[in-house]
Amino acid sequence: MVSNKMKERILEKDQIKQFHEDLARYYNFYAPTKVKGNFVFKKITNPDDIDLNYLNSKTPPKEILFPRMETLFTYKMDGKEIEIEPRTDLEEKNIIFGIRPCDAYSFNLLENFFNFGEFKDDIFLKKKENTIIMGLGCNSPRSTCFCTSLDYNGHPHRKDDVDIFLTDLGEKYLVNPISDKGKAIIDKLAWLSEANEKEVQKAVELSDEAESQISTELDLENTADILDPNFNHPLWGEVSENCIGCGTCTFLCPTCTCFDVVDEVDQYNDKGKRVRLWDTCQFCQYSLETSGHNPRNSKIERCRNRVLHKFSYYPKNYNMIGCVGCGRCIQLCPVNNDLREIIKKINLIKNKSKKEEVTVA
Amino acid sequence: MLSPYIPMLTTIKSIVSENEANDIKTYELVFKNKEDEEKFNYIPGQFGEVSLIGKGECPIGIASSPTEKGSIKFTIKKMGTVTSAIHNSEVGDTIGIRGPLGNGWPVEELKGKNVIVIGGGFAFSTLRSLIYYMLHEDNRADYKDITVIYGNRDCSEILYQEDLMEWEKREDIDVALTIDCAEEGWDGRVGFVAPIVEAVNPSPENAVAIVCGPPIMIKTTEAVLDKLNFQPEQILESLEMRMKCGIGKCGRCNIGEKFVCVDGPVFSQAELREMHGDR
Repeated sequence: MVSNKMKERILEKDQIKQFHEDLARYYNFYAPTKVKGNFVFKKITNPDDIDLNYLNSKTPPKEILFPRMETLFTYKMDGKEIEIEPRTDLEEKNIIFGIRPCDAYSFNLLENFFNFGEFKDDIFLKKKENTIIMGLGCNSPRSTCFCTSLDYNGHPHRKDDVDIFLTDLGEKYLVNPISDKGKAIIDKLAWLSEANEKEVQKAVELSDEAESQISTELDLENTADILDPNFNHPLWGEVSENCIGCGTCTFLCPTCTCFDVVDEVDQYNDKGKRVRLWDTCQFCQYSLETSGHNPRNSKIERCRNRVLHKFSYYPKNYNMIGCVGCGRCIQLCPVNNDLREIIKKINLIKNKSKKEEVTVA
Repeated sequence: MLSPYIPMLTTIKSIVSENEANDIKTYELVFKNKEDEEKFNYIPGQFGEVSLIGKGECPIGIASSPTEKGSIKFTIKKMGTVTSAIHNSEVGDTIGIRGPLGNGWPVEELKGKNVIVIGGGFAFSTLRSLIYYMLHEDNRADYKDITVIYGNRDCSEILYQEDLMEWEKREDIDVALTIDCAEEGWDGRVGFVAPIVEAVNPSPENAVAIVCGPPIMIKTTEAVLDKLNFQPEQILESLEMRMKCGIGKCGRCNIGEKFVCVDGPVFSQAELREMHGDR
């Protein structure tokens, strides 16, 4: 039986090796590591590769549970007979270690989306169920961060979406067990020492300080209501003008879920697999139909779809905003399109009723 | 949990070429597993993700009626990679099916109403399913007058000619076939669908018009129906859009916040007017 009130523990930085060793035996242990100068989440076999001195990973950790390319099923052929084999690796246990609070929350959005409606995405949901999330508070948010403006009470030290929460106290981490799953793990790691009053207090101070460092304040209260009647507003022409359609904003977005489906054939061995690959509404071929018709033929429609999907369609369908405020799309856009500026421009549009809707020829 | 991405396997039982150009064929498929057939409970207007394993998948409306037991039919035009590959397949080959998907024609709500089915060209497949369903002896009494107006470029493009001949013989359905230009040996109507609808002059009283066809036909027919005093709630349409998953996950078939695959493909004109989105 796990007690409800479990004390915070201390993980010394030189104990990470042991922490990894104890857990990697039972779990696929994912953590941030530097690859070619960029931070990404990888399955860690050598604990020396773990590098928590990062602001945030370049690619979102969604790719652990929703990889860029993923098998939906494999098949074997025998003459005209085909045998389909479902995935068998979904029961593996995972730990995602050192994830930032905004990205931890993104898994809530993803889980809600993949679970929504009549058809459930069994592949994502099964993996999510078997995953333990260990968050790491942001002591120094980026200038592009705006989690505190979002509807989920985003905060650089938000603990609600993780099983275990870590705060970097300098030489050590304060380890805060949050969920029952998290408490059970901490229980097993009996060698972790208990934290003292001072260490707990230090974490509170760091949390407050981090919050004060976030300078962006966005008003998202009425954005969805303004977007709805202004579908044809000239703003979209302006917003999309310098977009080069590279798709970075969506590929690196922790909440984007669009995918393509392709069959890969190993014709010499009479087998193959059907895979899904990340796709994006920013690509001109994404919605191109065989007839030649394309509902989103220009970047005006494509840029508009991205913003509306997150700030209008998502709230309408799931009652939550489809953005976590991580700022990746702002930081990594090659032409410096800034979502924060787009939101501000939207908020400046006088909310018109549907009858007065502005139409652009 | 059964994965919604895994197709059920069927065998091609028969292939019927539907036009002279031989680029539209109807495939009759039989499920390899009896349980799959029982699970595949559909209504007219729904679609399936049809796949040739190793080539890919595409969404196709179901052309058969649920009253036709033992097999399902898809009428497929040779258009892209997957449909071209399907056109190269033979009787006995394996086809994967996921479905039934989408909302379908509201066969329950249509009960007690006059139903006017208006189709143009190749878009007639789910309309065939609906008409076949309503004419079935178990269902015919549930519906009032059934009128079918079906237009094509020329006679060689008319789908389901055997069915149409059967229906023309019946007393309990009015069929008006039309082709764009007069042809030798054609004794049906001549002209585009919209003016023929106007000439047939269906009453909007207790009626629902179901319209399927190329965009220009839809547009002109909508105008005629409006003139005939059909309200937007009385006009139903089935949309097509590029799709991958068919289950509301892959993202691309959205019109505003609606997904054509799960919220549609059938929408009333009233719903379509409310929808802000790209299509």
